[in-house]
Amino acid sequence: MRFKLMLVTVSLMLLLVSSTMAQDTLTVLCTPQEDWCVAMTQAFEEETGIDTNYVRLSSGEALARVRASQDNPEFSIWWGGPADAFIAGSEEGLLEQYESPNAEDIPVGYKDADSYWTGVYVGALGFCSNLEILEELGVEPPTSWEDLLAPELSGNVAMAHPATSGTAFTAFWTVVTLKANELEAEEEGTGYDEDGVPTEAALDNAFEYFAALHQNILQYTRSGAAPGTMAGQGEVAVAIIFSHDCTKLQVEGFQDIVTTTFPEEGTGYEIGGMAILAGAPELEAAQMWYDWALTPEAQEIGQTVNSLQLPTNPDAAVSDLSVVLADVNVIEYNFQAAGANRTALVERFDADIAPEPVD
Amino acid sequence: MADVRLKLDQVSKQFQDRGGSGQVLAVDNVTLEINSGEFVTLLGPSGCGKTTTLRMIAGFENPTQGRIILDGQDITNVAPNKRDMALVFQNYALFPHMTIYDNVAYGLQTQRIPKNKVRERVRDSLAMMGLSGMEGRRPNQLSGGQQQRVALARALVTEPAILLFDEPLSNLDAKLRVQMRSEIHSLQRRLNITSVYVTHDQTEAMALSDQIIIMNQGRVEQRGKPKEIYRFPKSRFVADFIGRANFVETTVEMIGDDQCQFQLFGMTVTSVSHAEPCQSGAAVVMIRPEALALRRDESLPQGRVEQAMYLGSEVEYIVSLRGKSLVAVDNNPGSEIFEEGQQVGIAFVREALHLLPAEN
Amino acid sequence: MQARLGASQIRRVRQFAQDPLLVIIAIAVIVFVVIAILLPLAATISLSTSEEGLPLFERYLFDSTYQTIIVNTVVMGVLVATIGTAVGFLFAFVQVKLNVPFKRFMHIVALVPVISPPFAVATATIVLFGRSGIISRGVFGVRYDIYGLDGLTAVLALSFFTVAYLNLRGMMEALDPALDEAATNLGAGKWRTFRTITLPMLAPGIASSFLLLFVESIADLGNPLVLGGNYEVLATRIYITVIGLYNPVGAAVLCIILLMPSLTVYLVQRYWISRANVVSVTGKPAGKPQTINHPVVRWGLFLLVMFICGLIVLIYATIIIGAFTQVPGVNNTFTYDHFDFVINGLGREAMEDTTSLSIIATPIAGVLGMVIAFLVARSKLPGRGALDFATMLGIAVPGTIIGIGYLLVFNNPITATLPVVGEVTLIPKLTGGQGLFGGALAIVMVYVIRSVPAALRSGTAALSQIDPAIEEASISLGADNARTFRRITLPLIRPAFLAGLIYAFARSMTTISAIVFLTTPQTKIMTAQILNEVENGRYGNAFAYCTLLIGIVLIAIGGMYMFVGSRTGAERTIEGGT
Repeated sequence: MRFKLMLVTVSLMLLLVSSTMAQDTLTVLCTPQEDWCVAMTQAFEEETGIDTNYVRLSSGEALARVRASQDNPEFSIWWGGPADAFIAGSEEGLLEQYESPNAEDIPVGYKDADSYWTGVYVGALGFCSNLEILEELGVEPPTSWEDLLAPELSGNVAMAHPATSGTAFTAFWTVVTLKANELEAEEEGTGYDEDGVPTEAALDNAFEYFAALHQNILQYTRSGAAPGTMAGQGEVAVAIIFSHDCTKLQVEGFQDIVTTTFPEEGTGYEIGGMAILAGAPELEAAQMWYDWALTPEAQEIGQTVNSLQLPTNPDAAVSDLSVVLADVNVIEYNFQAAGANRTALVERFDADIAPEPVD
Repeated sequence: MADVRLKLDQVSKQFQDRGGSGQVLAVDNVTLEINSGEFVTLLGPSGCGKTTTLRMIAGFENPTQGRIILDGQDITNVAPNKRDMALVFQNYALFPHMTIYDNVAYGLQTQRIPKNKVRERVRDSLAMMGLSGMEGRRPNQLSGGQQQRVALARALVTEPAILLFDEPLSNLDAKLRVQMRSEIHSLQRRLNITSVYVTHDQTEAMALSDQIIIMNQGRVEQRGKPKEIYRFPKSRFVADFIGRANFVETTVEMIGDDQCQFQLFGMTVTSVSHAEPCQSGAAVVMIRPEALALRRDESLPQGRVEQAMYLGSEVEYIVSLRGKSLVAVDNNPGSEIFEEGQQVGIAFVREALHLLPAEN
Repeated sequence: MQARLGASQIRRVRQFAQDPLLVIIAIAVIVFVVIAILLPLAATISLSTSEEGLPLFERYLFDSTYQTIIVNTVVMGVLVATIGTAVGFLFAFVQVKLNVPFKRFMHIVALVPVISPPFAVATATIVLFGRSGIISRGVFGVRYDIYGLDGLTAVLALSFFTVAYLNLRGMMEALDPALDEAATNLGAGKWRTFRTITLPMLAPGIASSFLLLFVESIADLGNPLVLGGNYEVLATRIYITVIGLYNPVGAAVLCIILLMPSLTVYLVQRYWISRANVVSVTGKPAGKPQTINHPVVRWGLFLLVMFICGLIVLIYATIIIGAFTQVPGVNNTFTYDHFDFVINGLGREAMEDTTSLSIIATPIAGVLGMVIAFLVARSKLPGRGALDFATMLGIAVPGTIIGIGYLLVFNNPITATLPVVGEVTLIPKLTGGQGLFGGALAIVMVYVIRSVPAALRSGTAALSQIDPAIEEASISLGADNARTFRRITLPLIRPAFLAGLIYAFARSMTTISAIVFLTTPQTKIMTAQILNEVENGRYGNAFAYCTLLIGIVLIAIGGMYMFVGSRTGAERTIEGGT
């Protein structure tokens, strides 16, 4: 009987293997929301016939995973998520350069000069608020970062953990930038060093801000968009997320419940990146994806699943619902510096802020 | 004479003490031979090593030292299932999830005997044990005595070289035990199968055995026919363990070639059986209770009845005689029954006296 | 003396070696236990005590924020253990000592949490009692803050109390009613009898339930992840350290810190409680337990238990109804969308992978559990105590540690350089997408080692009920060990085997903490998917997953009853606790 069992086991396993060892495959590391990942992989599969698998990981997790398996990469292409993580990745040698012919169509600000990564979408950070809860708390929708510190909002703000989420890191870097600007306004040279990188003082101020904000945070989620749902469901009053994720919520049933506001002093934005991973096991398929993902057609897929990020390809159609960057006060976001300092900042945040008890 | 079937050669067994560090010597250098067709009983109090000895014969325990030889072959390291023996367990150990038929057929099936042969032999063996018609039942649907018979049938059907019994009757009530005892007796005589039987019940041992081996503290105290053991025990331990006995300390005087003389309650007694060659000095006289008789006879040594218990088939007395308490049993229906407190004369059957060495 | 001891050991080995099949099986089992349990554990420990690791101990143990996390973990563990044991005791007490209606219903409801997928209870609790909970806000109009220690404790206690219930109920039933009668006879009132007789007799059971719940709760990852709020515990910290920061050294150090209380408790339980066992289970107790008739006690406890039952029913109803609801709690329109998503969409692969891997792991765990139980309880295998201990580590050690250990050991092939052949791969890469079978083998191994301990325990418990003479009878009749095991032992411990199988399947389907590090693009696991859905607030999808998962487990249990056997026997074993 034992032996029969073993036989069954082995044959079942063989079956499993044979089903995963098909010839033309592509494994995508996908960072945006799940349904967009599904739509993209399905479309690519239809287009090319390549059997496409994906794993959705938030950008910090994705970076950690890529780093962990760099000797033996599991993924060939990484699609989506703020570019900071891609910059951090390219500095660590985790990414492969690729000059896609289609990258020419993408504006210069949205791609890496060294062709390590190319932007596939853009979106601005915002506050996603639950109107009902805010009314109950007697608070107006926040229009500045300082508004989030209101004592009434204690335990009513949610954001993701910068270690796992690119969204949260974008928020973090946005505050760093704002603090640097403040210092710079007071006295030149105190906010930025000669390379235009925010100074230690600016960082300290930013950490001070997040330590204060920590008192109002209910929970740091793993994924960047998750706080939006928490706001929608009334678990918190305000979520710090990308505005397109809030719009997506509104479109998907929360239209009368949530509203998007932007901080007046300025907000950050993300360039959703894309890169081929160093040592990609399915290089050819990865390049095909890369080329395809830059086409207007591929960039219009997001709208079909209510992912309303702005396409980077100027020829792609823009949904009426998308937030156009020109309409909000976006800060000068130094992606290079953000990416370069990402790892150290995240660790500092994780050690100093996240585990602190709330009074 | 008869050929030796099973031999234990200086077998010892040591167990790890439950506490951990110490070693317990359960069986201490036991050597014994069992002849073909013989029914041998290992008898002794609990903890004397009899069961361990049996389990070593069966192969469930490995001796720490020594060899076990079956039909001239050393089987000390042979696995228990490869030994041509069958064991009847104290609690029968019937397979509760199998029918009676399957239980009995089990041993034959392991021998890969053809199905129809198995059926035939199982049927025969069940018939022999008076269990025909019970094939389809399960053990828990049978009475204790029937379960015992199934256990016997299961062991016998494989026709083992040696049949081993581990206190098989101890779970039965008194009446059934007597009945099963006689069944085992006649069965064994009929089949003439070499048997080793473990029990702590001396009457069972006496009734069944050709040879009784008395064990104490891991050693063999005495071996012999039931009558020998009862009549001529070698030690006070054996005398006390098998049957009941009165012990009276005395002093022996050698009066000739293996002729002894000693004082017993003021009488001089000569030449009775003795466990060891007669020697002058301290000794113990063993008197079985049935060798004492109470009479209204003033010429006999006079004692007093301290206790009288009427048991139906016999009367049991405790009498005091010269400061000594003695147990006497009278099973003669014609005897007079004495009352507690009565003065009586005490007679003893001279032939039943047995001299034992004095215990240090 | 030395030489003699040596000789007797050689004899023992030789005696064990009499059956070559047994030797082969024993070696195979030991190799598996070493590779699948001890190696990953050793890797975690050695990484934590490496040069990089040791300074971290100092940092983690003396840093105030980490001290807070450690204290949080212990406080949560103690609270859950106390409340869970109390609830379990209450349920057991009502079953055994009270004459009240709906006892069967209470019993079944108490068993339900055993097959709850992780997050299910926590998520349903948020929907019901969260800030905008259907009950908290909908009925009582409060924005109750369920996140944090209070919510976490309640959810964990509800999820784990079943163990305490089964454990204590078994003990209460085994208590000889004659003791109660004796106490009453000596003039003690019911309350005095309870206080002076019942409670002390149950003390070991209460203590062991407490310790078990403590270990289970501090090892739990799913609930703190969803409900923790800012109440951080070690399990979530380890998770962030690996998933967010990819800091294996830090994670290993935190693992060891988490391991210490777990292992201490396990050892205490194993050596102290098992010895201090007061209840002697010798045959069936005579008579029926006395029932308590005091109306306040009787109906008070009845209402309390019914209230908890109601809560459990409510939670599970929320899961099932929520699976058919557009946005549970917000937009309550009926929909099949979530099931469509799980069955026809994205969830299908996860569902198929998880189910088939569990189906593979279940019989392996079941048979392995019985084989190890046999080796430990019946054979003369040298070092069988150590084998028992090592196997039990599979569950005594928190899942996160197992998961990290697997990443550390199996993320690269293990090779050895042999003199002639050169480099040989002993164990290929098992984890990650490029691992053997797309990482599936590692997952199956984790499923197996997480479920074997329960099968082992129920196997040894069942074996201890069987007179060894029955097996000896078989051997004496000429059957070898293998045949005896197959024809006699296994059928007799079938209820335990079945219980082991059911537990293995339910555990495999619902395990998360060890698995979350091991899912790969090729092998998707339902519980990890549920985590995603819950995290992103797609409760409908999460509930659909949970409902299907519960359905699959129930169907599998039904199937196993049909295949493996007698309903009553197995039920008795399961209900009797493992």
